[in-house]
Amino acid sequence: MTAATDIPAQQARLTAGAQAALITLIVGALCLALEGSAPWLVTWPKAWELPATQWVGAFLDWFLNGIKPAMRLFSDLMTYPMDAANYVLGNTPWPILIGLVTALGWYLGGLPMAALGFFGLSFVLASGYWAESMNTLALVAVSVPVALVMGGAIGILANEVPRVKVFVQAVLDVMQTVPTFAYLTPLLLLFGFGPVVGLIASAIYAAPPMARNVMLGLERVEPEIKEAAIMSGGTRFQQLFQVEIPAAVTQIMVGVNQCLMAALSMVIIAAVIGGFNDIGWEVLLTMRKAQFGESLMAGLVIVVFAVVIDRMSGTLATERKRYDSRVVWAVLGFTVLFTAAFWAWLPNPSDLTVLDPMATAIDNGLTAFTQANGPWLDALKNNSLFYVLLPLRIGLDQAVLPFTWGFQWTAMMSFGLFAVGAVIALLMACRGHLTGGLVVLILIGILETGISNLPWPFVLTGAAALSYVAGGWRLAALSVGLLCTILVSGLWERALLSLYLSGAAVFFCAVTGGLIGLASAVWSPVWTIVRPICDMLQTIPLFVFLIPVLMVFQIGEFSAFLAICAYAIVPMIRYTRHGLVNTPEEMMEAAISSGATEWQIMRDVRAPYAAPTILLGLNQTILYAFAMLVIAALIGTTGLGQSIYLALGQADVGLGISAGAAMAILALIADRMVQGFAEERRKALGL
Amino acid sequence: MKASGVRSLTPQRSERASVTDANTPAIACRNLWQVFGPGADKALTDALSRSGNDSDKAAADLRENGFIPAVQDANFDVQEGELFVIMGLSGSGKSTLIRCISQLLPGTGGEIRVDGENVIGASKKTLTELRRKKLGMVFQHFGLFPHMTVAENVAYPLRVQGVGKKERLARAQEVISLVGLEGREDSFPRQLSGGQRQRVGIARSLAVNPDIWFLDEPFSALDPLIRRQLQDEFLRIQATLKKSIVFITHDIQEALKLADRIAIMRDGKIVQIGTPTDIVLRPVDDYVREFSKDVAKGQHAKVASVMRDDAERGPDDPGLTTSMTLDAALAHCMELYEPVPVRDAEGNVVGTVHPSDLAAALQVDET
Repeated sequence: MTAATDIPAQQARLTAGAQAALITLIVGALCLALEGSAPWLVTWPKAWELPATQWVGAFLDWFLNGIKPAMRLFSDLMTYPMDAANYVLGNTPWPILIGLVTALGWYLGGLPMAALGFFGLSFVLASGYWAESMNTLALVAVSVPVALVMGGAIGILANEVPRVKVFVQAVLDVMQTVPTFAYLTPLLLLFGFGPVVGLIASAIYAAPPMARNVMLGLERVEPEIKEAAIMSGGTRFQQLFQVEIPAAVTQIMVGVNQCLMAALSMVIIAAVIGGFNDIGWEVLLTMRKAQFGESLMAGLVIVVFAVVIDRMSGTLATERKRYDSRVVWAVLGFTVLFTAAFWAWLPNPSDLTVLDPMATAIDNGLTAFTQANGPWLDALKNNSLFYVLLPLRIGLDQAVLPFTWGFQWTAMMSFGLFAVGAVIALLMACRGHLTGGLVVLILIGILETGISNLPWPFVLTGAAALSYVAGGWRLAALSVGLLCTILVSGLWERALLSLYLSGAAVFFCAVTGGLIGLASAVWSPVWTIVRPICDMLQTIPLFVFLIPVLMVFQIGEFSAFLAICAYAIVPMIRYTRHGLVNTPEEMMEAAISSGATEWQIMRDVRAPYAAPTILLGLNQTILYAFAMLVIAALIGTTGLGQSIYLALGQADVGLGISAGAAMAILALIADRMVQGFAEERRKALGL
Repeated sequence: MKASGVRSLTPQRSERASVTDANTPAIACRNLWQVFGPGADKALTDALSRSGNDSDKAAADLRENGFIPAVQDANFDVQEGELFVIMGLSGSGKSTLIRCISQLLPGTGGEIRVDGENVIGASKKTLTELRRKKLGMVFQHFGLFPHMTVAENVAYPLRVQGVGKKERLARAQEVISLVGLEGREDSFPRQLSGGQRQRVGIARSLAVNPDIWFLDEPFSALDPLIRRQLQDEFLRIQATLKKSIVFITHDIQEALKLADRIAIMRDGKIVQIGTPTDIVLRPVDDYVREFSKDVAKGQHAKVASVMRDDAERGPDDPGLTTSMTLDAALAHCMELYEPVPVRDAEGNVVGTVHPSDLAAALQVDET
């Protein structure tokens, strides 16, 4: 048998992956075996924790108080443009604003955009949330220019000074992983309650995409174009502003689009600190009062704004046609005339109740729906909780109870489970998949123990092993070092809880999203349906995802899980499809002419070629899941997200920043690992 | 234009003293190095001192230490009005060399004199001034500014100098006519074909009427027919403008067609500098010979290259002249076996050609 001769050869020289898996397995087994005699191996003893959150808190308090006067001055200055924007948007008659947006839509994208602007704003008007919307819009209108200028300046500076570039890249990477709520707590301390916090948070949050795209755009300008500018005798200033920036304008406009969306998203999230009568606050308020019809209506207003802003600014980044400017003047002229003519009869937008019946209807319909489908929905929720989420969280040995599974988990069953695992592992090893077999054993161990009860030496070893395989010793050292800071800071348990929920969501997204992506790739009608849904899901601000899941499944972990999945699944679908569809035509033709079937082409050619792209999608999914995890804390999650949210309520900077940092660390490590694997695949393919 | 071949007889290694002479070469490169890698300046100095200024040893030393000597000890002059072609395969360092001369790359060691003035280590201001007044460059992939119209692209070198809009557009119009693009002034680069785009590139590089013209593989990205058309037009333009030109190509046919003199590069080193005839008939090594293998020698080599001083001739006089190509000469003496006289442009007999030499010269590589 060939297998018999293969095995000694493999054992003689284990691959890096098999070695890593073996070590992890041994450490895990040791921890399990010693659990009784050395409990400190499983849970990090409280006595060993450092009061890191207090230290961070004390330092930040001192630091923030130090810069407070300067910041307060800045915030006082910011109130002027904000008051002005508020005044203008609040007091402009609504027909004129609708006309302006419609005219802008026409100028940017012709009839479709004009229609989008007109109907979008008309919906906002009819919803009765006009005043709140204008408050939100005023915040966006002030924060976006600030973010654009900051981001643009940072991007240009990084482009001009290579040393700054490395630093800026690192800071942007970290900022991408720090959860949104974590920004808010220190800002709260600096600026006090009020709209200025939302404004500044959104400016800070929206600047990085701009900086990133400016850097990317300038970097991607063809070298010969840059050289042509030099050889034309331009000074550096002339080269930059007359040639490089205009040549990079498409990418920069992508930055403007992302900047707008980020600002809108953050302004709405910032509503949780309250103090400002904007549309995000309206959603929160109605959600807390369980007025889901109203809350959905307000959520839809946010979505409408997001879609209008996104699609209109998106046209900036594509090659634009010129539309007849006379139409712009005609629309504006008409609105002015209309406003003047009907001045006395214009209704106060806040009194409009056109859509109130709809909200009521939604409320009633929802009640009817949940009542009619109650058993089914409850079953779905409970089954998912009892049979999937709970075992993952606390392990089979604790989750299997007579109350849930109908029987009690015994030591015998654990033994049986491990025995089955060992047999599978052995079989796989015999067939040459030693690493795979070891991984199966490890996974069974995790399932038995539960993610939140994993012994810390096992987690550290596992992270180190994965990092080593993905990116070598440096990454392994980085992972272990960063994880240790969480371990000693006393946030470990919460970090594991976060890891569990985001891990479960990422796993679900990877499988489901991967399958949907596959279906979209092989069968184009699927993509025609999936694509607009993906577009929509990516446009909706994070916050709004909470409304529908809350409506159907109430507060709880399952709702949070669904909200995270709904948001994080999109990149997985997109990248999977993109990777599979973009197999070079020549490779496909070579496979077809070799006589491969459709399925063989998929397995042997398209999937391997798409692997690095799919891994990048997984990477995005992980980052998205972490981002949403914090927002989902609003509707009931445990772990770091909850801590960050609580810290915000108590203005506890130490906890907020530490928990935010822990979250960023988890995201950063996951990000680096997946990037490492993707890079390795790319190299293996010679891309 | 090629009639000005007299200049190409200038010795390639002119003495330092001649740099300040009245007939200063337009460009003079002395011991020019471009080394890539961190701390390349010091590495080069060290490698040169270790090897006792032997450039081959120094280059090998640099490679061993992880540096890339992309240009190795380049020495040549480009005379005023000369069309100097640098030819080599991709990765041979020809693009790096032209970027050193135009100072898009700093140059690691040696000297580049443009009109007698060393540009290595010159201040930014000096370089900008030089580019505004004396240099023009054409790029392989055109390097056109995508957000500017044809006219704006062409006028850009004038715009950076602060020339008024009306004036610079008028000048742009002149060069656009010169390259035959009238009527496309308001088009954007994306609306033009490849050949048209390169015409814009050429027009832009001529906008300030530079003395020195760099062309980095200007026709390589074009289809063969368009390429030939643009080569011919390029020769026509050069015949009237008489710029000093450094022209990069990887195409031996193009080099032979255009050049007054050709420098052949390999692995960063210039292996031979000579007239097209030199390159074809007297390759210094197998590498150069390999290049000219596919070249129809008879079309490039002149009778002068196989002429002897013998006085002994046969009775026939088929009317050969020194500047006749070998192909033409062969056609004239197909049936002859005796040596025949050769005349110069004025009709004086200046030498003898043996028909067997002719045949031999045309078959050098048949073995």
